[in-house]
Amino acid sequence: MHRLILALLLFCAAPVLADEQDTLKRIAAQLEQHAVVRAEFTQTKQMAALKRPLVSSGRLVFSRRHGVLWQIEQPYRMTYVLGAERIVEIAADGTHRQRGLREVPGLAQVGRVFRALLGADTATLQENFAVTVTGDPADDGRWQIDLVPRSAQLAQFLRGLQLSGHAYAENIVIEETGGGRGTDRTQIRLVDSHAAAAPSPDELRLFELSGEPARP
Amino acid sequence: MKIARATPAMRWRARLWLLLAAVVALTCGWQFAAAGRSGHIPLQTNLLALLPPTERNPLAEEAITQLADAAGNRAIFLVGAAQAETAAGAARAFATALRAAGVFRQVVADIPPLDPQQIAGVYVQHRYSLLAAADRAALASGPVDLAGRLQRKLYAPFRFGLTVSPVDDPFGLTDAWLADLPLRNLKLEPENGLLVARTVDKTWVFVSAELPGSAYDGALQQAVGDAVAQAEQALATAYPGVELLCTGTVFYANAARQAAEREVNLIGAGSLAGMLLLLYFVFRSLRPLALGLLSVGFGIAAAVAVTVGVYGELHLITLVFGASLIGEAIDYAVQYFAAHLGAGKNWDAMAGLRRIAPALTVALVTSLLGYGALLLAPFPALAQIALFAFAGLFSAWLSVFLLLPSLLVAPSRRDPEVAVAVPQRFLRAWQVHMNRHRCLLLAGLLLVAAAPGWLQLSGNDDVRLLIAWPPSLVAQEEQIRALTGIGNGSQFFLIEGDTENAVLEREEHLSERLDEIVRRGGITGYQSVSSFVPSRVRQTENRRLWQARVFADAAGLRRLLAKSALRDDVADVQIAAFSASAGQFLHVDDWLQTPLAAPFRHLWLSSKTGGSGGFAGVVVPQGAIDVAQLAAAAADLPGVTLVDKAGSVSRLFRDYRRWGALWLTGAFTLVYGVLCVRYGPRQAAATLAPTVLAVALALGILGYLGTPLTLFNLMALMLVLGVGVNYAIFLREGAASDAKAAAATLAGVLLSAGTTLLSFGLLAFSSMPALAGFGLTLLIGVGIAVLMAPMVLSFSPRATT
Repeated sequence: MHRLILALLLFCAAPVLADEQDTLKRIAAQLEQHAVVRAEFTQTKQMAALKRPLVSSGRLVFSRRHGVLWQIEQPYRMTYVLGAERIVEIAADGTHRQRGLREVPGLAQVGRVFRALLGADTATLQENFAVTVTGDPADDGRWQIDLVPRSAQLAQFLRGLQLSGHAYAENIVIEETGGGRGTDRTQIRLVDSHAAAAPSPDELRLFELSGEPARP
Repeated sequence: MKIARATPAMRWRARLWLLLAAVVALTCGWQFAAAGRSGHIPLQTNLLALLPPTERNPLAEEAITQLADAAGNRAIFLVGAAQAETAAGAARAFATALRAAGVFRQVVADIPPLDPQQIAGVYVQHRYSLLAAADRAALASGPVDLAGRLQRKLYAPFRFGLTVSPVDDPFGLTDAWLADLPLRNLKLEPENGLLVARTVDKTWVFVSAELPGSAYDGALQQAVGDAVAQAEQALATAYPGVELLCTGTVFYANAARQAAEREVNLIGAGSLAGMLLLLYFVFRSLRPLALGLLSVGFGIAAAVAVTVGVYGELHLITLVFGASLIGEAIDYAVQYFAAHLGAGKNWDAMAGLRRIAPALTVALVTSLLGYGALLLAPFPALAQIALFAFAGLFSAWLSVFLLLPSLLVAPSRRDPEVAVAVPQRFLRAWQVHMNRHRCLLLAGLLLVAAAPGWLQLSGNDDVRLLIAWPPSLVAQEEQIRALTGIGNGSQFFLIEGDTENAVLEREEHLSERLDEIVRRGGITGYQSVSSFVPSRVRQTENRRLWQARVFADAAGLRRLLAKSALRDDVADVQIAAFSASAGQFLHVDDWLQTPLAAPFRHLWLSSKTGGSGGFAGVVVPQGAIDVAQLAAAAADLPGVTLVDKAGSVSRLFRDYRRWGALWLTGAFTLVYGVLCVRYGPRQAAATLAPTVLAVALALGILGYLGTPLTLFNLMALMLVLGVGVNYAIFLREGAASDAKAAAATLAGVLLSAGTTLLSFGLLAFSSMPALAGFGLTLLIGVGIAVLMAPMVLSFSPRATT
């Protein structure tokens, strides 16, 4: 997560602070070596339709090449694999449900943004969001990035994204339009982030369910 | 001085001609002015207008028109670049440039955001009558894990496209229905407000432009062509390396119009120039040139006036064909000039006319019979060509009778002996070497030589014969199809029923089979109204499943929802909404009123236009289409018809090509009858023989050339009959007087043939395969007919003495 957030910052800061661009580029280049990042997450969802927040927790694996593995462990077990071609849902009993990203309007874009967000795909994010950065990661201070959708299509699903952290990304806030019933706010807290060179064989097997790996 | 010697009767004739010419000129002027563009012929460039209605079912024709209109008045562009931002910027700049031209009604690059509320609205209201196919099967097969579905709905890390609030849809059943809607039949996806397709190395941005009028409006075609060319140039300057693809009926129609105008100029100018040269070469005087031009000009103008008067417009194929009619229309005048030349100092304008009158008239009648055969063809375009030829030839013939005598009173100053020296030598040689037996032998040998060619003849009935599309346009269209998945709309299913519901049910039966074809990879998908609005039976079944699997155990439902994080009132809201919706059905009209339905409106035909008061829907298959598989799918379904316009036209071509042989025989019999009246059965046969040989040899040569036989080749053979027999008639009539006159007549015949061959020969270079084949066949047929025409001399009673 560390690497990806810093890389995000690199991109985000570029239009804001030209002076910092070089520094951030160096940091990003240093972080490029890590192909895979793992973290523990706790997700808290708040919706107008809920009487209490929904809390779930589990593991997150991001592979630059393969996609995102989202494994919920509490309150029930469920794995989501977001790949280049499709989203696969794997229940605790092993049953698979999958949906091609191109079959549903908007889904491909949501998927791409989600991956771009976690993968610091600067081009995709820049295309899709207006970016504001506060704080200064270079001085080891706290930082925050606000992303607001540029396009009306994305704004149909998403009001905004917020990333904040210190040495690592610690907090992701996703504000979605709540299907016409107010705003849904999802907070993801990430702890114990660390990088790896490649996905484990088990992780790789899951990624393979979600389609061909993206072009490097 | 010469006119002073014209008799009063001749002067009256000339005045009548002037009056007629004035009427024709005024009519043409008025017609062109009425067309809105003075100086321009009202030209029809729509090729569908050429084709006859092929479907027995008028509703199918209506559906064809509706589908063509849905696609026809739109121009589609893809702007491609390696960088997505470059493509987006270039596409927006291109759209702005198109808009600035002010030609289009609307240019869309940025798609308006669809309000998800609006999309889901009508479906949320009717959600208890709707289920996705997979859910229907799951609910039908037994109890479903509602708790699991609830968890998935609530805890999913991201939204799967269009979703409904958990208050309205706690189990995600409505979400699944929405996700299953075939909204994405195209491969395009929305991205940053643009529709985008991606290939390995490029991002393509979709831009569409709507025309303010018909794609077949010539002025609009021109304006659109200019606007696109300008915008393309601006794009190339501002964004070098960006690729632009475009397609749309308007571009094809524009290309067809330009090609037709080019060909009219080429064929018209070519045959006119060649004709004048030939005339001058033979007569060495400018007078026949001027008179020939007057007579032909009158004929063509009258043909345009009559055709536009009857049809309201001229089809571009008629125009191109009309340009080649020049060579035939001059024949009558040429015969008169030949008589003038042959008479030498003894020329009497009226006596000369009287002498050639029977030949001219018989020739006109046989030509008209030849073109009359075209009238029998069910093609509006061919009927128009026939009418054009009727009017043009008759007027040119009339000119000879009315105008020419008063303008050609002075005897020819050219020595006829010198002028006809070449044809005379040919004629003498023929008479010396070719007696009856040798003629028969030659004919037999030629037939034997032609026979293997006949065996190599093959048919071709492809509808694309009518026109050759510019390859660059076709390539761009294919690329756009591949990138976007837009279908060609040529094949579709027509589903009819007495009620809206009957149509939907039949569509659902068809859909089951089409799903099977999709699974086998035969088609990539299909568009149908029933995938947006299920039939009443299916809605009832869906509601029954909702009742049985979700609402039957109300207490259990309350417990399940109370346990979840959802607000406590959700269970009550659900149960109340379910019972409130009892007896409500989603109707096609409800759906048609949603913005979601806008791109699919052509799939439903309004009930009033059906005639029978029934309803009809259209199911359009997508992707590469195997007609046989689709036909099998529709075979035993009542009310379902596979409509394949291109296929129907090809079948029609084939049927008429096969009947063509019979028609040709019929036309020969008819002409033989006319000849018998004048010459008696034996001599009529001799007169017709060169033409029969010409047709037989032309078929053989086409076979040797490997040119496939089409309906249009057969039509040309009808004209070989109409034109070819003229030469024999002229020659035999000329020979009836004296040897010098015969030579002059032969000179005239050769001249006629020369002009005819010139114009039809030029037609053979037309870019329209139908016209090119037509021209080639005529070139071969008429060429042989004129070479063999002296045969009549070998068989004429005088020749034997």
